[in-house]
Amino acid sequence: MKPFTYQRALSVDTAVAESSERCRLLAGGIDLLGELKEGLVEADKVVAVTRIPGLDTIEKKSAGWTIGANVTVATIAAHADLARAFPGLAAAARDVASPQIRHVSTVAGNLLQHSRCWYYRHRDVTCMKKGGDVCYAREGEHKYHALFTGGYCISPLVSSLAVALTVLDASVVVRGRGGERRLTMAELYAPAWDDHAVHHAIVPGEMLTAIEIPLAARRSAFVQASEKASFDWALVSCAVSLELEGGVVRQARIALGAVSPVPYRDERAEKALVGTRLDETTADAAAALLLEKAEPLPHNAYKVPIARALIKRALLAAATPG
Amino acid sequence: MPEWPKDPKYIGKSTPRVDGAKKVSGAAKYAHDVQPEGCLYGVVLRSRWAAAKITSIDLAPALKVRGVKAAILVREGSRQVRYYGDELAAVAATSKRAALDALRAIKVVAEPQPHVVKEHLAARPDAPRVFAETPNTGAGRERKQGDPDKGFAEADVVVEGLYATQVEIHQPMETHGGVASFKDGELTAWHSTQGISGVRDGLSGALELPQNKVRVLGEFMGGGFGSKFSAGVEGLLAARLSQAAGAPVRLMLTRFDESLAVGNRPSTFQKIRVGARADGTLTAFSMESYGCAGYAAGGPSAGGSTNSGFPAPYIYRVPNFRTRHTEVSIHAGPAAAFRAPGCPPASFGIESILDELAVKLGIDPVELRIKNDPMELRQRQYRMAAERFGWAAKYRKPGSSSGPVKTGVGCAGSAWRVPGGGTQAEIEVSPDGSVEIRCGTQDLGTGTHTVIAVVAAELLGLTPADIQVRIADSRFPPSGASGGSMTVTSVTPAVFDVCTKAIEELMRTSGLADVRGPQWRAACRKLGVSPLVLQGRWIDGLSAAGTGGVQMAEVEVDTETGFVRVKRVTCVQDAGLLVNELTARSQANGGIMMGIGYALYENRVMDSTSGVMLNPNFETYKLPGIADVPEIDVAFMDLLERRVMGIGEPVTIPTASAIANAVANAIGARVTSLPITPDKVLAALGKVPGAARDNPHDAWMSLFATQPA
Repeated sequence: MKPFTYQRALSVDTAVAESSERCRLLAGGIDLLGELKEGLVEADKVVAVTRIPGLDTIEKKSAGWTIGANVTVATIAAHADLARAFPGLAAAARDVASPQIRHVSTVAGNLLQHSRCWYYRHRDVTCMKKGGDVCYAREGEHKYHALFTGGYCISPLVSSLAVALTVLDASVVVRGRGGERRLTMAELYAPAWDDHAVHHAIVPGEMLTAIEIPLAARRSAFVQASEKASFDWALVSCAVSLELEGGVVRQARIALGAVSPVPYRDERAEKALVGTRLDETTADAAAALLLEKAEPLPHNAYKVPIARALIKRALLAAATPG
Repeated sequence: MPEWPKDPKYIGKSTPRVDGAKKVSGAAKYAHDVQPEGCLYGVVLRSRWAAAKITSIDLAPALKVRGVKAAILVREGSRQVRYYGDELAAVAATSKRAALDALRAIKVVAEPQPHVVKEHLAARPDAPRVFAETPNTGAGRERKQGDPDKGFAEADVVVEGLYATQVEIHQPMETHGGVASFKDGELTAWHSTQGISGVRDGLSGALELPQNKVRVLGEFMGGGFGSKFSAGVEGLLAARLSQAAGAPVRLMLTRFDESLAVGNRPSTFQKIRVGARADGTLTAFSMESYGCAGYAAGGPSAGGSTNSGFPAPYIYRVPNFRTRHTEVSIHAGPAAAFRAPGCPPASFGIESILDELAVKLGIDPVELRIKNDPMELRQRQYRMAAERFGWAAKYRKPGSSSGPVKTGVGCAGSAWRVPGGGTQAEIEVSPDGSVEIRCGTQDLGTGTHTVIAVVAAELLGLTPADIQVRIADSRFPPSGASGGSMTVTSVTPAVFDVCTKAIEELMRTSGLADVRGPQWRAACRKLGVSPLVLQGRWIDGLSAAGTGGVQMAEVEVDTETGFVRVKRVTCVQDAGLLVNELTARSQANGGIMMGIGYALYENRVMDSTSGVMLNPNFETYKLPGIADVPEIDVAFMDLLERRVMGIGEPVTIPTASAIANAVANAIGARVTSLPITPDKVLAALGKVPGAARDNPHDAWMSLFATQPA
């Protein structure tokens, strides 16, 4: 690891002023410290943002909920009011990593974490995501990789919180030197769809300060499938939200995780549910539509049946009063 | 003939670990914890190439880094690298940062060469060679018994199958390495090892030091599983760095290093044919197999069993058989002995095909095994296990449970036969009655300290807490390495011998008719001012070999996500005469958990293009966590007449096979390679578009096609 200087920011303005290509913002450190130690990235300076006042609260206002960037994943998992409002988000938070990691990792860090592709994370492999010319995974070992991508790199987004927040129409507040901007979850990850060089839309000089979730009469659910019972990445994850009226779907959102560089949605699948009552058949039809454009490779085709099962399970769970 | 006490107070009972408090409080010092004054930080430079000719390594820039005290080459001159992670050089510095900076400063000039890291590709005639002068596949070894052709002709049914096991890595919690300190021409090494004598001999030989100038210590160590018999490259480098720097050097491998270079369980590929009569009696067995122990069978890690061979038809009685096993070399880290070498892969192949045969014949798998297992003890164990497990009620036609989450059961047996021996021990009895036992064995975490205390307490009529146990110092009377499940069988007879001699001597000096228990202190007072010091050695008749075991597993398989959950494992294990039930139970639990990892999660993943191992970490080299551990029911057959036996290895052998059979019973389709991951479960169920049910077999078939059978 290349030596760097360490500074603690006490305001968002300071953090944003310091942030650059060579100066990284540090919150829980789960992602950044791993990258620095493995020599995947270098920094001259690291600025800790966890002591900035006001970024570690969860608030409910008239328009919706605001979750500060520094709120830990464990806090979200244990927040009773949030869990009542957004059960899918709480379920996603509970499935993140291990208790130790949940207690230090922040919601912003979880959303902005970089690729976990084992070629990207390997200290002696320079894949296209790290500036090389090839995607080793495509021709190599890709059982954990993406089914949908707009580019050549098949590294998937692994943040479960991103998937859960997507179906809640959440947005993120991003402070830059010139002021503040808001991005939908789709906008936050859109650049990664076809640009292998990026992980999300936040650029040096910017800081994600909060997540906003609008109030809505929605039911939500989140399910994931892994190889192990705990402390394991999702092979596929699925979040859904439903607005129901008398048992009939008025609006639906379905997002898949770990199968694409973005939380993967297809409006056709969501619209197909509107006006129907959810059951095995309608849920499966929506699942088929959402998976229609999958481009499985030899080692990751098994993700298609898993996704199909999870979409059905998440939809039926959200539709069932619980 | 010596005999163990008939009505024991401690032997066979449960004594908590005598060092338990030290371990849980952190007072126990492992090699990792040893920090002598002025200790330097040692690191190893490894090859970034899977295959290359190293033409030069320039250490000068490393030596210029501030804080660096020594930099050495693993070998002088130009050399060949045969796997990613092979050791090239080492550095010792005053801080980790300086040491890592120095590693980066070393200039290596290499000519990269083509590599091959997959077994089926390595077997092709045009594959890059691991050793230029020889093909990657050996000539093969054949074994034959009876008349296999006649045996198959006599069979009413013949089943065939292709089974494969992965490369598994030992992954002890404490990585390899140690602290070496050269002072006044003498070397002291605190080493994480299964064999302090072997490490002493290895270091003295390599450094050309007299054996009496090398002392190896390792009172506590965090697991080895067969991979820590020798000083290893890292142990020798630590010693050489200390010699060069004139200061102690601590060189413990990182998890990354640990995954690449210090051993693994070889992969196997088994094409099996079995013939049987309609009543299930086996008439013939044939197997063509390949196995891969990395870049070369053997390799630098001593300890035996470092090739990929395995016993077949394992524990079963088949009058006629023919086997042919061929070694394949690839550009990857070498194998080392691994808990019951050869047996878990052997068990997976034969136990899988036996269940296929049972289904074909409509015979209960337990009955099929009882019919073909020549060991009467194991036949009884099957009946005991079936009773405890509720086999009769649980075993159903494969795939017949309702709903998307299906349950199934499976069983498998094991054997282990390695006798102990060759241990000396010493007792020191002080006039105040205190007792110290010294023995140059070591405690892998299995409870050697406690076992010695239990045996001595039993014989002397004292309590285990009264016995001071000193082990893992090469200055103590020698014992062998702790491997082959032979620590308890090697050590306890020697402890028996010194205790018996101490009693005899005390009776003589004190004139008392009985010196044990309540008389002990009075007898010891008669020693006067000098303690009584006596040596003893291993004696015949107290320990034995030839244990058997049976395990049954119940699993739940989600047929929509492919997720497998082990619900219950029942283990019935012959333990001979149990010395301490609590630590034996602990070993059985650990062996079963290790078997679960082998069955469902663990796998070394190599990348063909780059030649690197892709998962040198616990993120993607997956080990079972506590949430993955089922209810484990262990029943020991505690049989005094069978004498002391080791069980560390047999308890891990049948677990994966029983789980694999349970998965097949649950879903009505067989995953024929380990680990049984969701992708393979779904493929076996025919649910993966574009994937054959036996997905990986295409690749394996090319392995079998490369050479005439």
